[in-house]
Amino acid sequence: MIQPLRQTHLRIFLVLAVLVPLIFVLALVKRRPLPPPVTPVHATATEVSR
Amino acid sequence: MSGGYRAISWNAQKKRYDAILASGVVLYLLTFIGLCALLNPDATAETMLIRGFGTAAFLLLNIALAIGPLCRLDARFLPLLYNRRHLGVTTFLLGMIHGGFALVQFHAGGDRNPLVSLFTSDIQFGSIPDFPFQILGFLALIVLFLMAATSHDFWLRNLTAPTWKRLHMLVYVAYALLVAHVSLGALQSEQSPALAAVVAIGFTTVIALHIAAALRERRIDRGKHIAMPDGFVDVCAVDDIPEKRARIVSLHGERVAVFRYDEKISAVSNVCQHQNGPLGEGRIIDGCITCPWHGFQYMPENGAAPAPFTEKVPTFQIRLIENRVCVHPRPNVPGTWVEPACIKRRKAKQEAG
Repeated sequence: MIQPLRQTHLRIFLVLAVLVPLIFVLALVKRRPLPPPVTPVHATATEVSR
Repeated sequence: MSGGYRAISWNAQKKRYDAILASGVVLYLLTFIGLCALLNPDATAETMLIRGFGTAAFLLLNIALAIGPLCRLDARFLPLLYNRRHLGVTTFLLGMIHGGFALVQFHAGGDRNPLVSLFTSDIQFGSIPDFPFQILGFLALIVLFLMAATSHDFWLRNLTAPTWKRLHMLVYVAYALLVAHVSLGALQSEQSPALAAVVAIGFTTVIALHIAAALRERRIDRGKHIAMPDGFVDVCAVDDIPEKRARIVSLHGERVAVFRYDEKISAVSNVCQHQNGPLGEGRIIDGCITCPWHGFQYMPENGAAPAPFTEKVPTFQIRLIENRVCVHPRPNVPGTWVEPACIKRRKAKQEAG
């Protein structure tokens, strides 16, 4: 009675337990590095050196 | 539709549960927005609200998914399971507010319908950094809506427990969609390792707890029992079963709860008709087997809920041989009366013999 339901549960879980970390790692590996913060053009040499 | 609507009865425990839940959410949102304003003063109020509600929903979903295996591993977590559905509905509401704000903020400024804009403004499905992650969040929200909308026992009765369970297992799909939504969205623009670490700790905990609970369950299913020529199976010794409690055994792939109470032994299916909870992890209270999940009750002799309730679980033929409990693995029709095995009578026979 409950056995087929438990097996379905197990199958769904196993697929997702593999898929979730895979998506996460792939997203981190393939992410585009953000450009460095832009220094305001009006900043003085002293402000930049800080 | 076979089951009628019965309004939720707000008992003290439910009120306490919801009060703690609501204050926890408010406290989290205030802390999150306060910290955001402090660390990132340039962030707009809309951005802080979008992030606050989104992270609150994701955090609650992690907690909701951890409760099930935690209860299997330690019964002390059972009070959390009792009203887990309230946690699920709150997750949906927080997610909906997050989605609503995001839709207005990013898709309502043009001349297209915001929902059309959500699906058409960004279609770079082949690129990971530019993947339209908003669509994943929208799909997860649809699943959470279906679950929240059918969370009342009215739907459980009308859909039947197995169908309702199948529908609610979609929570795992929603979770995977949300991890992808966060990984392809927030983690692309906010590259702090701390944020990635929090997401990783969340899903690792959820997966590890499920695996630990599954391994514990497997021990029950792997137990080997010897069948006798008449089909009865020796499952355990009488003294292996604590008074007013059960021993769960797996016979032909189905779990049976063998209860000992008042010098008697009865066996019923381990599966509660309400939400398929494990009856064998419950106790005999007021002469009835009481499910540990939501307190549904059944008479141990016939597996029927006391009037006016109508739920019934299958019973199993049982007998005692010496000090051993033997159960026939073929289930009876739910609600069938089975004479309990009497421990006193067996002891008297032994003494006379």
